[in-house]
Amino acid sequence: MKASVLSEAEIAALDARGLIRLEKSIAEGFMGGVPWGSVAWALANTTVWFALWPLTLSGWLPLWAAFPIATVSIALSYLPSHEAQHRIIARPGEPLFWLNELIGHISTLSLVLPYDVARLTHYEHHKHANHPELDPDISTHAAGTLDFLRRSLANRQPSGAADRAYGETLQRLGTPEAGRAMLVAAVYRLSYFGILFGLAWSGHALEAALVWWLPRHLAATYIQYYLSWAPHHPAQEIGRYRDTRAFRSPLGNILTMGMQFHIVHHLYPRIPLMRTPAAYWALRPVLKARGCELGGL
Amino acid sequence: MQQILMGLFRIMPLLFGLGFLAPLLAQTLERLHWTAPFGLSPIVFGLLVGGLWGAFATIKGRWL
Repeated sequence: MKASVLSEAEIAALDARGLIRLEKSIAEGFMGGVPWGSVAWALANTTVWFALWPLTLSGWLPLWAAFPIATVSIALSYLPSHEAQHRIIARPGEPLFWLNELIGHISTLSLVLPYDVARLTHYEHHKHANHPELDPDISTHAAGTLDFLRRSLANRQPSGAADRAYGETLQRLGTPEAGRAMLVAAVYRLSYFGILFGLAWSGHALEAALVWWLPRHLAATYIQYYLSWAPHHPAQEIGRYRDTRAFRSPLGNILTMGMQFHIVHHLYPRIPLMRTPAAYWALRPVLKARGCELGGL
Repeated sequence: MQQILMGLFRIMPLLFGLGFLAPLLAQTLERLHWTAPFGLSPIVFGLLVGGLWGAFATIKGRWL
């Protein structure tokens, strides 16, 4: 059954069981296969960021050029890992599962976000989206863009909410896997500071600041805005069809990293990122019948 | 182990001030050909500002 062969009135007349059957049958058409675009994106983007180090330290690439490249690269680092977190590239037991895990681990090195921390906390975000205590990403909730920027700055203070929320989520999970993830997070954080301090005291503080420290902060703001704040705003409601919205951004699909269609991801996390726009348009009549917030899209 | 890590992260703003901000300030001054006030060398100036700022962030829990 396809939404396109049914009129909006016919879809609206379906009962709950009919709607979910229609929704699932449409969504299943967008799942499966290896999203090679995301794999190539991860490998190329990680290579670019690592290449900035020899290029800037040798003086071949000026810092004014490296800084925007590093910022864009770190901003692009999260989404391939996100595909891996949902085991979209390959599931456990499949031949390419090693590739899934490799992409998950390497993509967010520049973001200093360990794969298992991201994966475990992200699953909790899906389970409890917008819950004031259980959603690890609720700290990005804000009344508007300026309020988001103020909170984003506040969250990054030493006593800020963001890191604490991830730590508390892992502690609440209490599994051996969550315990290991906390330990890895500490190693990542100590390594990050150790490398920054080492570079700075060996005469490369400006390179460390403009290839990693400042780009990471700018990229994290961008990622939190478009991947967390915008698709869940106003973050007041809980429930499958209410905790995420579609929205129209003046920046378009690519510059918002596909997040205008994030509602599709929350409904069907195994649909690859690059197929979510098409999946959204196919699912739109069902989402409309469900009363989802579609933000004029 | 956990206590050591927690203690280390508790004073991380101070370590960040001394370990990163201090040389960053010093090297920025040098790159811009500016001189530090009161006849201080760039790195002493960086350590003063980075150390005090890091200590403030450690005690207050915020950088600003």
